[in-house]
Amino acid sequence: MTSEPHRAQDRTPDAPATRGGLSRRRLFAGAGAGVAVGAVAGFAGGRGTANAQPATDAGDSVDLSRSHTFYTGSHQAGIETLPQRHCVYMTFDLTTTSVTDLQVLLARWSAGIAQMMAGRPIGTVAPDRAGAVAQDTGEAYELGPSSLTVTLGLGPGVFDGRFGLAGKRPRLLADLPSLPSDSLQPALTGGDLSLQACADDPQVAYHAIRDLARMGRGTVNTRWTVMGFGRASAGKGQMTPRNLMGFKDGTRNIKEPAEFDEFVWVGDDEPAWMRGGTYQVARKIRMDIEIWDSDDVTDQQRVIGRTKEVGAPLSGKKEFDTPDFHKTVSGKAAIDPTSHIALAAHENNGGIKILRRSYNFTDGINDLGQLDAGLLFISYQNDPGHFVTLQRRLGSSDLLNEYIAHIGSGIFAVPPAPREGHYLAEGLFS
Amino acid sequence: MPTPLRRSSALAALSVLAVAALAGCGSSEDKGDDTSATSKGSGASQVNVTLASGGGGDECQVDTKELAAGPVTFTVKNESATGITEVELLSGQRILGEKENLAPGLPEVHFTVTLGGGDYEIYCPNAATEKTPIKVTGEASASPTGSAAQQLAQGVTEYTQYVNLQVDNMVTAVRNLQKAVDAGDLAKAQQAYGEARPFYEKIESDVEGFVLPGFDATDNHGNLDYLIDMRASNLDPAVGWHGFHAVERDLFGRKQITASTKRLAAELTTNVTKLAKVAKTLKLKPEDLANGAAGLLEEVQANKISGEEEAFSHIDLVDFANNVEGAQQAFEALRAGLTEIDPTLTETISKRFQAVTSMLEDYKDPNAIGGYKTYTPQLKKTDANKLSQTVQALQDPLSRLAEKVATA
Repeated sequence: MTSEPHRAQDRTPDAPATRGGLSRRRLFAGAGAGVAVGAVAGFAGGRGTANAQPATDAGDSVDLSRSHTFYTGSHQAGIETLPQRHCVYMTFDLTTTSVTDLQVLLARWSAGIAQMMAGRPIGTVAPDRAGAVAQDTGEAYELGPSSLTVTLGLGPGVFDGRFGLAGKRPRLLADLPSLPSDSLQPALTGGDLSLQACADDPQVAYHAIRDLARMGRGTVNTRWTVMGFGRASAGKGQMTPRNLMGFKDGTRNIKEPAEFDEFVWVGDDEPAWMRGGTYQVARKIRMDIEIWDSDDVTDQQRVIGRTKEVGAPLSGKKEFDTPDFHKTVSGKAAIDPTSHIALAAHENNGGIKILRRSYNFTDGINDLGQLDAGLLFISYQNDPGHFVTLQRRLGSSDLLNEYIAHIGSGIFAVPPAPREGHYLAEGLFS
Repeated sequence: MPTPLRRSSALAALSVLAVAALAGCGSSEDKGDDTSATSKGSGASQVNVTLASGGGGDECQVDTKELAAGPVTFTVKNESATGITEVELLSGQRILGEKENLAPGLPEVHFTVTLGGGDYEIYCPNAATEKTPIKVTGEASASPTGSAAQQLAQGVTEYTQYVNLQVDNMVTAVRNLQKAVDAGDLAKAQQAYGEARPFYEKIESDVEGFVLPGFDATDNHGNLDYLIDMRASNLDPAVGWHGFHAVERDLFGRKQITASTKRLAAELTTNVTKLAKVAKTLKLKPEDLANGAAGLLEEVQANKISGEEEAFSHIDLVDFANNVEGAQQAFEALRAGLTEIDPTLTETISKRFQAVTSMLEDYKDPNAIGGYKTYTPQLKKTDANKLSQTVQALQDPLSRLAEKVATA
């Protein structure tokens, strides 16, 4: 198969994204597209480029030839990476009890992820040999990298007795405690491994999950999945997107490298193989859309604590005005103390911040004929206790609880990215 | 994970001796550029195959391209080639040895074969240059064509006998079903239905697609599989409903035996008798067994776990178990030859068959029709996920069998 057509398109992930063949699929969103083209042309890969976007609508552009680097040797992509448009999240249960099977799976997943993030198939799409099945399922063939990132997490089950890895458990990895307002369904909860595949083309994201699931068969079973569309969290420089409640989500998200160091990346108190990693919490949150839609906007704004159009805190005028939780209007708090932003604010939680990297989802129509939709909430933090603290408060008092339910949940330790020639969580096996 | 090897042929010109040094070992040390091809203690020649990403894509570097006849140990290390997951040693189209599941960071792996003089190739699918020739000088050993190919041929002969036996048993069992129907004995007919189904299910991938002489391939009037095994959901209105499942509807759905039931049962006997005659003319090739085994598992996934096959009797797990048995028989028939070609894949498939059959143990029920629990909607709801994923874990490696045996 020396004439595999995809090879003509091969390039290292760091090469400039100027592949002519992709132009027909290149598209730009936003009124300032012309500006964005110029801005994106200087793209050079890796973390630096992720931050190279202008802080206007024009920065919210999609360039399907853009790629991210897998072998960073520091943090996994898909965390600080600017949120892409689409995301497929899936968790898996290990069915093997062989530590070697786990090791081979993580190594093969790592290689496969590296291939796909560079826009390459994981192997032959159409093998020469008669009777042969393909290594790559093919539906992302020639679609371009589309900013794909795949982020791996290790659940608490990896460190139970099955694999002899109990002694290597990350310091803070444990099942989440039961939290107020939890309506968790067992079929949407847990998992020994998680994969978060985000891309600007949903087919590229889905292909990644599909082929990695295929690679894992016999070692892992699928457990639960959410197909997310439309990012519902902003990265640095991105226009703040809206979740399905119609409100901006992520205005006060973690965006600066210093905040990542303080709140996201784990430090020296973790085992060496985890340093530069983080903890992932995933929650499938159902929204009762019909009920929310029949609530008047003034009340919706009171529930959230922000205005709907601008996204300004009810104590201010502009989106990025710092909320003033002490301000009163006619003797009443401008921002209701049980509004969503009041309960979640770091000012009211001992300074705690978490990185949110959420996506909207829909599962079609439920048994009652209602639209079945919500938020795939994904957070990253260097202490899962930070999520627990916030969710205890939100689950107890949030005005929003009338309209949402946490139906799925998972917690995972996210190891750092390997250097070239190595694989994710390799240090577990030495 | 050393893979035990069954040696049965004294004339085998090559032998895969050692496999895998992977278990429990997590070294991530780079090996450096050790290109030495000198003999190590074992006395075997050494060939190092190194996979690395380079300017032109993933490269498959072979350090020694000429060596003397005799035992040769191939050491494969994936340094950084993310697109290469397997390496094979080929003689023409035949696979003499191979390593799969390669990925950067995993420890190096080895395989040893005894090579006679001649031309060979190292095949690295997806590498920038996929095939690297290797020249072995010295006496050409007795043609190695024998070993795997002969054993596969022997397996095909054995499997063909198995198919013939099932076909004969099927005719007998369907006659018994007809007798019970003719006698108007509903309970006995239901039992007989459960006893007749397994034989068809064991071999259906070998016998589907038979068209009676004089009929066009698109005309279901002459399609034996249609006439014997069609379900209500896929009926051709021009032909109507015949066969096992029409009888099943009467016995388990309507719970009554009518003149129509008797006509259907008699017709079924006629058609399986015709099928038996055609089946005995089957000339199978090794890849037919491989494809047939994979096909039977597709049947399990598509129709049994969904509960669509036995919509009235709910004996889907009987069909399931017999599809699996038929697939396993085909695999076992190929096993000796396949072990020569790809011991790792053989071992994987074998283990996954064990996982499926031991899972099925939990569903046995000697008091139920056909010997397995009735596949109720409740059981499907609780167990279908487990059943499906366990079968899928077998289906994936099994689907790779055909290409292995077709080139032997």
